[in-house]
Amino acid sequence: MGHIAEGGGPGLSTAFRRTRGGGVTASFHTAEVELLRSLVGQLLELVRDESEAKQEDEGWAVALGLADDEPVRPTDPVLLRLFPDGYQEDGEAAADFRKFTERGLREAKAGTAATVLASLATAEGVDPGERKSRDKIRVELDAAEADAWLRTLTDLRLALGTRLGVSEGDEDVWAALPEDDPRRHIHDVYDWLGWLQETLVRTLSAGLG
Amino acid sequence: MTAPVEMERPEAEEATVPDTPWVTVVWNDPVNLMSYVTYVFQAYFAYPKPKAEKLMLDVHEKGKAIVSEGTREEMERDVEAMHSYGLWATLQKAGDLV
Repeated sequence: MGHIAEGGGPGLSTAFRRTRGGGVTASFHTAEVELLRSLVGQLLELVRDESEAKQEDEGWAVALGLADDEPVRPTDPVLLRLFPDGYQEDGEAAADFRKFTERGLREAKAGTAATVLASLATAEGVDPGERKSRDKIRVELDAAEADAWLRTLTDLRLALGTRLGVSEGDEDVWAALPEDDPRRHIHDVYDWLGWLQETLVRTLSAGLG
Repeated sequence: MTAPVEMERPEAEEATVPDTPWVTVVWNDPVNLMSYVTYVFQAYFAYPKPKAEKLMLDVHEKGKAIVSEGTREEMERDVEAMHSYGLWATLQKAGDLV
């Protein structure tokens, strides 16, 4: 599994913490909000892709459950990680499992990503005059939104981690890459998302008792 | 959401042994945070923190852990839920070598 180093975050954002109202909150630099929006937007496209294309082609048939559009095992390693096989050594059972679950999982992941985008939009909608600082954006989440953030941060890290090819205990490899290597920048983003998620998990775990 | 149901598979073999338990296995991966995996086991299975942490450490150190047992349908639901949380999970008959 992944580890997060103790100490401050690698970005400008603050850690998540509890609000008095029972929600959670964190503050982001406008550039971080922009980055999150871009990443979550790409994720949304990725998980929606096939199901939506099908619906446009044969919407009525899909609606009636008549369309022959059973999900097939993805060849893209990122999609295969987001929608893994449910059975390891039984291809037929795995195909059946995918048939009955993948569309629902895609919709669920698209739904949580959309919730994250909506909470970013709400936070940005606050009049800049009422912000503590012009380039700081305060995100406040209720329990359902926090759950959506947890899942979407996971999906983003799974997508980035799979593309990068991260493995356990490989931190030194990424730190040794030249400054101008684009993979180093992507890994920094991956680390930042992990740090953000860690602070969110800790905040929510405290409420589980 | 449509629950996974078996439509085409002959059920005879399992029907004669309705008690055959199935298990959900969670596999280690290099991305998911230890704290998050523990949180998921607490939040979804309602396991107390010590049990959730023990299972998380088994996944981390042994590469996998059985996190729930039940009927095949129940395990398909658990695996689907684990996938919705981004954990890598599969189901299999209990007793089959993991």
